[in-house]
Amino acid sequence: MSLLSALPLLVAAVAMSTSLLLGRTAPRGWLVATLVGVAAALLAAAIVLMGGADWEWRSSFLLGGEPLHLRLDSLSAFFLVLLGVVGGAGSVYAREYWSDTAHPRSARTGRFWWSLMLFSLGFVLLASNGLHFLIAWELFTLSAYFLITLNRQCSAVQAAGWLYIGASHAATLALFAFFTLLAVHVGSWDLGPMQEHTELAPLFWLGLFGFGLKAGLFPLHIWLPSAHANAPSHVSAMLSGVTLKLGIYGLMRFSGWLPLPDGAGWVVAVLGVTSAVLGVAFALGQHDLKRLLAYHSVENIGIILIGLGFALVAVQQGNPVWGRLALAGALLHVWNHGLFKALLFFGAGSVLHATGTRMMSQLGGLWRAMPWTAGLFALGAVAISGLPPLNGFVSEWLVYLGLFDATLAHGPAAWLAISSAIFLGITGALALACFAKVCGVVFLGAPRSPAAAHAHESGPQMRSAMLVLGVACVAIGLAPVIFWPAVVRAMDVWNPVWVGAETPVALSALGLFHVALALVALTLAGWLWRRVQRSGLIRAVTWDCAYALPTARMQYTAGSFAGIITEWFAWILRPERYQQLPETCFPATAHHAEHTPETVLEKIVKPAAALVMRVSAWARSLQHGRLQAYLLYLLIGVAALALFVLLGGSP
Amino acid sequence: MIVMRDLMLRLVLWLLLAPLLPGIINKVKAWVAGRRGPPVLQLYYDLAKLWRKGVVMSNLASPGFIIGPAVAWVALIGAALLMPLGPAGSVVSFRGDVLLLIYLLALARFCTAWAAMETGSAFEGMGAAREVSYAVLTEAAIIAAVLSLIVHTGSVSLSTMLAPSAGAGAALLVAGLFTVLLAENCRVPFDDPNTHLELTMIHEVMVLDHSGPPLAAILHGASIKLLLFSILLVQAVLPMGDLSPLAAAGALAVGVLLVTVGVGLVESLLARFAFRRVPLLLTTAFLLCVFALLVAWKGDAP
Repeated sequence: MSLLSALPLLVAAVAMSTSLLLGRTAPRGWLVATLVGVAAALLAAAIVLMGGADWEWRSSFLLGGEPLHLRLDSLSAFFLVLLGVVGGAGSVYAREYWSDTAHPRSARTGRFWWSLMLFSLGFVLLASNGLHFLIAWELFTLSAYFLITLNRQCSAVQAAGWLYIGASHAATLALFAFFTLLAVHVGSWDLGPMQEHTELAPLFWLGLFGFGLKAGLFPLHIWLPSAHANAPSHVSAMLSGVTLKLGIYGLMRFSGWLPLPDGAGWVVAVLGVTSAVLGVAFALGQHDLKRLLAYHSVENIGIILIGLGFALVAVQQGNPVWGRLALAGALLHVWNHGLFKALLFFGAGSVLHATGTRMMSQLGGLWRAMPWTAGLFALGAVAISGLPPLNGFVSEWLVYLGLFDATLAHGPAAWLAISSAIFLGITGALALACFAKVCGVVFLGAPRSPAAAHAHESGPQMRSAMLVLGVACVAIGLAPVIFWPAVVRAMDVWNPVWVGAETPVALSALGLFHVALALVALTLAGWLWRRVQRSGLIRAVTWDCAYALPTARMQYTAGSFAGIITEWFAWILRPERYQQLPETCFPATAHHAEHTPETVLEKIVKPAAALVMRVSAWARSLQHGRLQAYLLYLLIGVAALALFVLLGGSP
Repeated sequence: MIVMRDLMLRLVLWLLLAPLLPGIINKVKAWVAGRRGPPVLQLYYDLAKLWRKGVVMSNLASPGFIIGPAVAWVALIGAALLMPLGPAGSVVSFRGDVLLLIYLLALARFCTAWAAMETGSAFEGMGAAREVSYAVLTEAAIIAAVLSLIVHTGSVSLSTMLAPSAGAGAALLVAGLFTVLLAENCRVPFDDPNTHLELTMIHEVMVLDHSGPPLAAILHGASIKLLLFSILLVQAVLPMGDLSPLAAAGALAVGVLLVTVGVGLVESLLARFAFRRVPLLLTTAFLLCVFALLVAWKGDAP
């Protein structure tokens, strides 16, 4: 046990407990305690990731009848870093976004549940006992429910909360079965590598369902869009940036520790491709800014799963090197998606804060009032579209390289790799289309409503939270080599066979190219801007084919921008159109509205649930409280048994 | 030091030669139509003129309206510098640089679409929407083409990937990549660089509001992109690595000229397609590249 990381973890635990107590009464103290806790946890994780020994602690203290067993190895430290950065930024953001003046009652409870969520998330990452893992898992699921429903007067929020808690418990149920079966077979709740128990392989599928539902992979993502859209934005950032990754953490943790069934990697990779393409297709159909971002989480989880899936395929095929690259890409994308998605949700939160609406059809032209938010949102948009020189490209590049090398290996996985690479390319182009739409419709052009026209920039706390995440995105993009050792150490825990990889030369070359690109682009852009200003900049009305009175309503809308692509995906998006076409020579009214429902929820889950309800209602009619009928049931039952015995069945 | 000199030399070459291509295309079109046509150097004159002019900017536009074209231009030049040049090879080369090239083109696309959305004009929104939507199909085609080269040559970096000829699938690859070239460079039958009817355009309509130096950056960037795609096409097909340096340089020059003339001929002989047929044509290009991939796979399977 290494004392070096034990001390920061102790400080983190004490600080987080303090923040739990202070949340209701002393907001400033709460913020300080939370930040101290987060910083201490980050320090502990950094020590482990930078080459320190793993930290393990077995105590005789019993929790739920089981001795406490905590472990911080590189894989959990890797996720702990993400939790620390996003959690810390979110705490600062929340102070202004969900302030006591604006939300006198829910702000206090919000702080309590926020601290509890951070605490339990950290505990999930450290727990090395199945029972404690489940307790912490349930605790963070519940605290997330209370955070989602902070504004519970609103009926949409209530519905989202219900869906979230229902779906989460389906996942928890699967995990209950998972851990119980594990404990029964192994004979102890203690967790650790157990590759030798080959009979445990089928448990992978239970874990895939439970953790996959939490991670939001398609088609288990049904709870995700409404929960992320209706939660307060700092909570959305946390849900999307960190809690989804806990699902990935579970998948990685247990796919590394447990034996794998045949075909596990193939299934994960195919699910990843499906999530990536369909996630972004659904995102394109959305009109609600936060709902759109939520669907992009499905997409990015898909990209992570493609990497993880190929790593699993590689493990089953004798550990070729391409599996490493794919897994490195997946791991780095865990960080990257956490960072830029939290940044984007913070940006969306600032927009919501300033205008009071999430509907893109009501926004527009916000760059004038909110230059910081617009700039940082654009940074996040470039990063999430996987464009150089930011971090999203680095991790997608690693995944691509893994896929290319898998193709070159001419093995059985080559065809899967080829199709995955093509679909990954399509996903990237679709994400670019989607974020060109979001940035254009929300921040550029003319304001589409008075609310957008009178927007205001968010305050220093919200801005600084966004700035921190933006800087992190830039840092990983420009200097990926610095973060590579952390990725390698996390990989070593996952698969010790791959130990000791040197930094790929290409990665440093890529980093250098990124730096040069960023420097030249900034210099040239600045120079051109100055030149344009000096050479006499004239402002005039937008050229609309010589039409001199353009209005905000004449702009291209989010729906029309995405129209071409949503038409291609209409087979799965099933958009609902309400329209009144212009008729007669002088049409007085015409309108067109389009809405993309959550197809899996509306067309599959809800009908299935309705069927179950109908069957149950029918079965209930057997029970009506009439004694005569019950006596009849008894008689029929006895007669059936007698018949059974008479006909020669053995009782 | 030598690397820096090489880099500078290439930069100058790219910057100076690129605007020649649109001039050649226009000359070919004029020749087919029996006109005299504008001089081959017309784009140079236009660029010089635009560079000296002032800028008219929409009331709604932010500084991004100027920064977008600048960043797009840098991204395109960055992509160009990654491209190996026949006998000279490439100056920056690493595993996976081909992906960087593809995504730099995407960065340029994002910046152009951003600048288009700045104006709040429905026309430019329309153009940006078409550009980013059709790019989904061209990107799939490009990745399939790259995969076919990867499978054929067993390498994932541009300089070795483009050295041998494309083998048996070359004809398929030429057809596929040439279609992608036409689409990505807003040429007939996808787009018409001559028309001024905004409703029917893709790329041209996105730059309606631009003027002065930013427009010059856009036009120059477009010519670099055209040269980039022509060089990619020629090098993918010809066995650059097997020729002597002089022959390779000559082959590259003649090849690029042939592609340019080909674009001019297509433009003279075909009309622009209706928009509903654009995805069909792009899907065909994608399938051609996939077939080239299949041929490469069959040809190289151990």
